[in-house]
Amino acid sequence: MVDSYFGLMWLGKLQIGLLCAGLLIQASSSHGQEPILDSVFRGESSEWLAKSSSTALFGESGLQLKSSGGVRYTGDSKELSKQLKSAGAMSLEVWIQPDGLGQVGPARILTFSKNANERNFTLGQNGDRIEARLRTDKRSKNGTPGLDSNQGKLAQALTHVVFTVSQEGNTVIFLNGEVAGRQRVQGTFKNWNDGYQLLIGDEASGGRPWKGRIFRVAIFDRSLNASEVNNRFSKGIGGEMQKAVKLSSSDRNAELFETKIATILTKHCLECHDSVNQKGDLDLSKSLASHFDEEILVAGNADDSLLWESIESDEMPKKRDPISDEEKELVKKWIEGGASWTIDFIDPAIYSRPADNATPWARRLTVSEYINTVRDTLGVDIEEEAGRLLPPDIRADGFSNTAYNLSVDFKHIDAYVKLANLIVAKMDLEAFSKRFTKNRELTDKNMIVYIEALGQFVLRGPVKEEEKALYRGITTTTASMNGGFIEATGHLLEAMIQSPRFLYRIERQHGIGDKAFADDFELASRISYTLWGSSPDEELLRLAEKGELNHSKVLSQQTQRMLKDPRAIERSLDFVSEWLHLDRLSHIQPNPLSFPDWKPELAQAMKDETLTFFQEVVWNEKLPMAALFNTPYSFMTPELADHYGMPTQSSGKGKMTKHDLTGIPERGGILTQGSLLTIGGDEASMVTRGLFVLNDLLRGVINDPPPSVNTEIVASEPGLSKREIGMGRVSDKTCGGCHVKFEPLAYGLEKFDGLGSFEEIDEHGNVLREDGEVAIPGDSEPVGYGTVAELMDLLAASSRVQETVTWKMTQFAMGRPLNARDAATVNAIHRGAMEAGGRYEDVMSAIVRSDLIRYLAPEPLTDESVSH
Amino acid sequence: MKTRSFTRRTLLRGLGGVAIGLPVMEEMFPGTSLAASAASKQVPTRAFNVFFGLGIPDPVQPNQFDGVLEPLAPLRDQLMVLRGVDQVRCDRSGMNAHFDGATGAFTATPPNGEARSGGASIDQLVRRAHYPDGLPKGMVPTLVGGTFFRRSRVGRYVHSYNPDGTTAAAMQEKPRDLFERVFGRIRLSGEGNETEERLKRSVLDSVAEQYKFYTGANSPLGYASKERFKDHLDRIREYEERSFAIDIDDPRAPSMPPASELKHSGAADPGGEGIDITLEELTKEWRLMADLYALAIQMDRARFGSITFLAAGERIRLKGDYHYNGKLIHRFDDGSQLNGSGSKGCSHEWWHRFNESKKNEQLRAHAHMKMREVAYFLTRLHEGEDNREGNGKSILENSMIAISTESGDGRHSDVKRELSGIFHAVTGAGGRFKTGGVLKANSEGIDVYNTMLDAMGVTSRLGPPDRKYHRLDSMLA
Repeated sequence: MVDSYFGLMWLGKLQIGLLCAGLLIQASSSHGQEPILDSVFRGESSEWLAKSSSTALFGESGLQLKSSGGVRYTGDSKELSKQLKSAGAMSLEVWIQPDGLGQVGPARILTFSKNANERNFTLGQNGDRIEARLRTDKRSKNGTPGLDSNQGKLAQALTHVVFTVSQEGNTVIFLNGEVAGRQRVQGTFKNWNDGYQLLIGDEASGGRPWKGRIFRVAIFDRSLNASEVNNRFSKGIGGEMQKAVKLSSSDRNAELFETKIATILTKHCLECHDSVNQKGDLDLSKSLASHFDEEILVAGNADDSLLWESIESDEMPKKRDPISDEEKELVKKWIEGGASWTIDFIDPAIYSRPADNATPWARRLTVSEYINTVRDTLGVDIEEEAGRLLPPDIRADGFSNTAYNLSVDFKHIDAYVKLANLIVAKMDLEAFSKRFTKNRELTDKNMIVYIEALGQFVLRGPVKEEEKALYRGITTTTASMNGGFIEATGHLLEAMIQSPRFLYRIERQHGIGDKAFADDFELASRISYTLWGSSPDEELLRLAEKGELNHSKVLSQQTQRMLKDPRAIERSLDFVSEWLHLDRLSHIQPNPLSFPDWKPELAQAMKDETLTFFQEVVWNEKLPMAALFNTPYSFMTPELADHYGMPTQSSGKGKMTKHDLTGIPERGGILTQGSLLTIGGDEASMVTRGLFVLNDLLRGVINDPPPSVNTEIVASEPGLSKREIGMGRVSDKTCGGCHVKFEPLAYGLEKFDGLGSFEEIDEHGNVLREDGEVAIPGDSEPVGYGTVAELMDLLAASSRVQETVTWKMTQFAMGRPLNARDAATVNAIHRGAMEAGGRYEDVMSAIVRSDLIRYLAPEPLTDESVSH
Repeated sequence: MKTRSFTRRTLLRGLGGVAIGLPVMEEMFPGTSLAASAASKQVPTRAFNVFFGLGIPDPVQPNQFDGVLEPLAPLRDQLMVLRGVDQVRCDRSGMNAHFDGATGAFTATPPNGEARSGGASIDQLVRRAHYPDGLPKGMVPTLVGGTFFRRSRVGRYVHSYNPDGTTAAAMQEKPRDLFERVFGRIRLSGEGNETEERLKRSVLDSVAEQYKFYTGANSPLGYASKERFKDHLDRIREYEERSFAIDIDDPRAPSMPPASELKHSGAADPGGEGIDITLEELTKEWRLMADLYALAIQMDRARFGSITFLAAGERIRLKGDYHYNGKLIHRFDDGSQLNGSGSKGCSHEWWHRFNESKKNEQLRAHAHMKMREVAYFLTRLHEGEDNREGNGKSILENSMIAISTESGDGRHSDVKRELSGIFHAVTGAGGRFKTGGVLKANSEGIDVYNTMLDAMGVTSRLGPPDRKYHRLDSMLA
């Protein structure tokens, strides 16, 4: 029985040219696919065998080596030895992520040897260096003295390591494409032993284990040169770009375009020169041959480019602030460098934000995440107290879990202290502590074991040495004040509940290189907070401890399991409340003169309507997310139905029932529910409603009105309906450029008043309309609709709307606005989700599988590394 | 090394800050006026235990005030050193000699489990006998303080116990804590008692330590997150100041001493692996502690309690040149000299390596240094007008102060041997005990202590009721 394997095949000489000259053997794991078998040698594949599943695990995220024993190649190593001997040169390539920098020996990463003293070659780790050992007929059987990467330091991050030996005896060690060590060796490979074994992670005889992850191993029968090594490094593990690579000049120009120029164009030009407006027949949101034909852009020559001429002279942008000198410099540099245009459509939703704005923030738990975490980890319901004591989280970028905005106030600290006391007071400490230890003596020996077990569960990951000492301090202090085990447990928990590791989601951000996988515990928290808005349960933590969570199959099983849990529903309701800002309903206060029949209970009924509808559509019927826009039923209390002007169903006061809306064409879908229709205030503002559809359903971007504009709300009057006022703004020369992009989106809703009641004629006797048109961002031609129902069907069918839902869900999962660097991944998530059916669970599964969850967010690149 | 000593008057003049209500105090105590108690002829009954970690192996103890006892020589007339005092009855199976011996100091009984002594300590029996209705209002009933790092078991560092074996008072391990205990009153933020409040504060301290880690150089966080955590830490500090504000309720109180720069609580004892510390750091903190403790006695805020200089089995890697009376005694550098890291590089290894037939140079130097620091504290109760009491004697001379330690020759394989010949010294207690030399007591600790209780007019005795008490007449004046 093969416990785990590392797929590997030989590459025959005949096929060599197809991949890379001289590649003999290659085993790799490419993220996003099932375990890979790269190629074949003489039509045969061979497996790598681990001693047991506790030795190593193979998953999408590489081969993880956990204990001694290594992983042995079962193929024809004799043949490998012969080939290398006859070649008299070789290259070894590995992509690794060491578990730590304390590994010495050297710890064997890749070895072709018999035991700790006899080898053909070994590539190993010695602290923060790579050490290669190589046998030749002029060197020892042990391949010593070792060849050392003394010019570069290994980091505990994803690292590309290459060791090359030329026929002349020149050896080079490369770390991430850079030379890290060079030495000459005497002799040839002719005394190599063909009977040795090829292993990853240890000697065949054991005793020299290396721990970490390996993503690729390749052996070549020639010495790769520096530019080949650099090129392989730049391609990354799975062909993905490594951002730190030195790019070619055309790559740099493209990168400049994607990270800076697209943003500058969005900020300063697209308001007028996009597909909708095309002022002066110029659409700068797309790459058009006409830009070059008409010398708007002349690649390599800024001075001859009209674009440069008009911005340099501040002729453009009109009526807006001029482009800054720094931005101008970048535009000039971009044109001079070739004016690369690598994007089909500059989507303002992506490019309005600087691409390098992805500063990672340790995410503080939101109020609801805190409540959930306390419930699930400690078994205490603290909802009422936490709701009362903790300051509410403030919305930013459309969500109140936006990490950069989750700041800390004095009130938080006060609340955290009080809540910690309350939580511990509510706990059954006897029962809780028994899960972690049976021994109640307050000795070092017992307490350390107890703190490790308790801490790993409460803090969602292993307890570090210095933390153990701190917690141990609490138990000794308790003991010195005559406290016993239970009191000590209480104080330990109070400290843990206030620890940064409880209140924040701490992940590695610094010193992890450009691309590093979330480790198993980081992943456990990521998926549990993404799917549940709460802490990982024991099963997740157990899998994390075993190092199995990163395995794609396990991850997928866990995702399915978690999506069946009621916590997943709860989290989805959090999402919809946030996305549609349903908490707004708690604060609406309609003018009693205009709405004498309004009762505050109606606001709650509206919120409940949307949440119940969402739950029915998404969880009970398991319909695609798009169905939220046009499914013809809803849930109302008799009072709400009456308020809407619909027939009531006999269900008792305040009790919600399902209403079939097939006979009521103007209702059906979230946009026809009071919770959203109230968004425009008492006056049912076309502007606010239109902006909601544009921003939150179509992911459109609009700048604030210029400072000189009068933004006072114009009230309707006899002979002048809201629609007509809106149309006036759209046709206005100053306002129209922007208003045309969002007001028509709300035309279809004119018949709903500010509180969601349906009427054909307004209070002034104006006849109301429901026809209009929708301009999808990026499309130059708007699409018309005749009725509310048609508008709802149009939105439900729009791929832009469906994409937006995925974007919003992803943003909520990540706790930050998404930017250009995320675009490809989010699009991949969306494609994956749509192929699977486009349901909530499909989107969530795709998010969990995605790079956004499985890779850590490193600190952003500095401007320098991007712009030159 | 420069170590300022803090007498009552230097403290009154303020430590790095403006003294609270200084002019008033100067008016209250013009010139060299004495502490309140000193004004009357009545000398209060006092009893204190002074403990130092890692004792002095019997063969190293000299028969006069020289060798490792050299620093006690200036106090020769105020002390009697007792040799041949055995604590063998303190051995308890399953414990280790550091701990058994340490818990036996001042109680002469084996420990009762991990966090309790086997019975009362002598200071507490004197307190109960002399103040059956409690101490005068406002006085700290028992003051327990000390400078130490190893914490695994309470008996290693707390040395005042109630008869039921519980600690007689909370340990004040930072000078500032001791200051607050003596001169302040914690403003209780909720219900709960003062001990509970102190525990809550220590919980919050450990929380702050963690935020400190995440804002420091080894933090795994990026710049933005670190800044956020700095904010969080600042708010915690603010919360601490607001919620645990101290009301200074003694108008004579000096200004707040500086915050400790040493590691405390859990951080000071990383799993028994020991910490690096310089002689200067250690001495600076200890002397501030000793000054404040002495000041509490001078101002008559405390009459009973214990003070600890280094815990039993203390694990420090000490570094620094040790001079005494202008001559270099030793260059401490435990880590390098022992060629070990973690606990294997700690001074306590010198005790394990003790060999009667060798020089034991490092062990002697450590013991000498401890005696210097014990002498420092005792001197603070003896020298100067502030210590002169109504009967013309010093506080040191009028008080019952017992100085002892754990076992200490490192023979873990021979507990009986290790618990024999434990260093003891006793003050005159207002003329009750002989002073001025080294006495070959050759007695059990329990008899020494019971003799002291007897002389202090205490009727209760340590140990099992059926045990015959052998009075050590030779120690009585």
